[in-house]
Amino acid sequence: MIVDVNAYLGHFAFRRLRHNTAASLLELMDSKRIDKAIVSSASAITYRNAQAGNEEVAEEVRGHSDRLIPFAVINPFYAGWKDDLKICHEEFGMAGLRLYPKWHNYQLSSPCCRELMNAATERGMVISIPIRAEDNRQRSWLLNVPDVPLEEIVELVKAHPKARFILLNGIGYTGCPLGRKDNGLPSNYTIELSRLSAVLANELGQLITNLGAERVMFGTGMPFKYPDPALAKLEVLDASESDKEKIRSRNAMTWLSL
Amino acid sequence: MAIPQIASGPPAPQPHVTRRTLLKGAAATAAAMGVAALPSASAVVELPAPGTSSGPFRKGKVIDCHAHLTHRSRATWEADDRKLIEAADKLGIDQLCCSTLTPRRPATADGFRQCNRWTADGMRRFPGRVLGYCYVNPGYGREALEEIRHCVGDRGFIGVKLYNEYTCTEPVVFPIVELTIELGVPVLQHASHSHYFVQDQPRMSDGGHLAELARRYPEAMLICAHISGGGDWEWTIKALRHAPNVLLDTSGSVTDEGTVEMAAAVVGVDRLLFGCDSSMTAGIGKIRGADLSAQDKQKILGGNMMRLLRRRKS
Repeated sequence: MIVDVNAYLGHFAFRRLRHNTAASLLELMDSKRIDKAIVSSASAITYRNAQAGNEEVAEEVRGHSDRLIPFAVINPFYAGWKDDLKICHEEFGMAGLRLYPKWHNYQLSSPCCRELMNAATERGMVISIPIRAEDNRQRSWLLNVPDVPLEEIVELVKAHPKARFILLNGIGYTGCPLGRKDNGLPSNYTIELSRLSAVLANELGQLITNLGAERVMFGTGMPFKYPDPALAKLEVLDASESDKEKIRSRNAMTWLSL
Repeated sequence: MAIPQIASGPPAPQPHVTRRTLLKGAAATAAAMGVAALPSASAVVELPAPGTSSGPFRKGKVIDCHAHLTHRSRATWEADDRKLIEAADKLGIDQLCCSTLTPRRPATADGFRQCNRWTADGMRRFPGRVLGYCYVNPGYGREALEEIRHCVGDRGFIGVKLYNEYTCTEPVVFPIVELTIELGVPVLQHASHSHYFVQDQPRMSDGGHLAELARRYPEAMLICAHISGGGDWEWTIKALRHAPNVLLDTSGSVTDEGTVEMAAAVVGVDRLLFGCDSSMTAGIGKIRGADLSAQDKQKILGGNMMRLLRRRKS
């Protein structure tokens, strides 16, 4: 069983994506033997009204709820976000959030965002934060969106100990408290592996040593990214089969009660 | 240890003979015979990754066209070099075309000569696994040319690595390119294209510069480094469409889906070279994931680089 906690549907404003419909993503997943994937709207990254992207995803995944697990993109500074959250959770069955503080231009520490964290936590929703949407060096001439600094994530997980976070598309965790052993932080976050090295510096192995295999999850970033590099990391990772199984699926299944 | 197949619903396939197993076996046999531990690639048969091709295929040599040995100012250089080879073993990479770069640029003549001595030493420490690029700063003129002649002629280096000391269209670079034409070896040119000025690399080359250089020297074998190195890869691929003597190195940390397929469609699969530039699973993964035939993938993984290396004149 493989569960991908980092997948997307829809269009991205700055590059054509393939495999971005439910049907074509499932076809890709079949070819890679990926059983389930958490998906959110790629369009909602740049839509002003992110809820339109959530509606598109809800429509796409209809009939595929056994394999595609939708997450909502919510901007806590946009009018009506509380209504959107309620609809996404109660009507669309979205089990978690994807937040883009830099793309949507807000601070994770702002009162509005804290209110969103609390509301999502009360609903039992998982909160995932992509550290980046794409490599900043290939950015459009129109904008310059930085990665979410890991220091801001440190403050976030401390401020919301009861929330559950999945950190996506990140790297360099071992260089900050998030990836260090006995870091004094709550164990309320897990780290997705798509950008982590599994050889040479082997940040993935270091995270397993420092935090435990329970704190790492498999993710690909498809269809932004090829799924194969993430699969190759699991192949070459020097870890027990039991630990690999946790990373491959068990941790995500537990967090999402699948 | 065999690399396990990751399976989901269907029963897990029986462990199959992998390239890694065979590499290790070949290495042990070779070591016992006292010869270089380079496997006979033509004997290897590997099952393709699920969904990437229609059946088993005969696999040829896999050559990483863009790799680096560690500068020895770093205390862990020896272990780091060994880790590179171990990573190559795990991922089924037979050979790595390596340069050693100075930690800071512009490199001095002493600096690049020292790097090249270390690269030559790396070729001795990992015989048959490490192939050497001669790194020079073209600004040193005669000294740079002498170093290339020494490295290619006497040390068996396979090509020249140019970094960002000069944009590749600057006249100071021309004698270097002319010498590589004389020797029949490629130039791997550091390159990227961003839609903003890269402050710390003001003389960065991009695909457009390489296309211009290729028009000036149609006999040269030019390699545009790491099209997945962070810049706008769609721009780079399009800029190189009409530059038939520029090959595109697929290395870099970016694993955007569709990169390899677009490159194959625009410039042709014969002009693509597999590389990692230290992003090992990214390098292998994007070739595995590309929607291309097994034969085309083999060209990218090693066939095209082999073809390039056979053009050496001495």
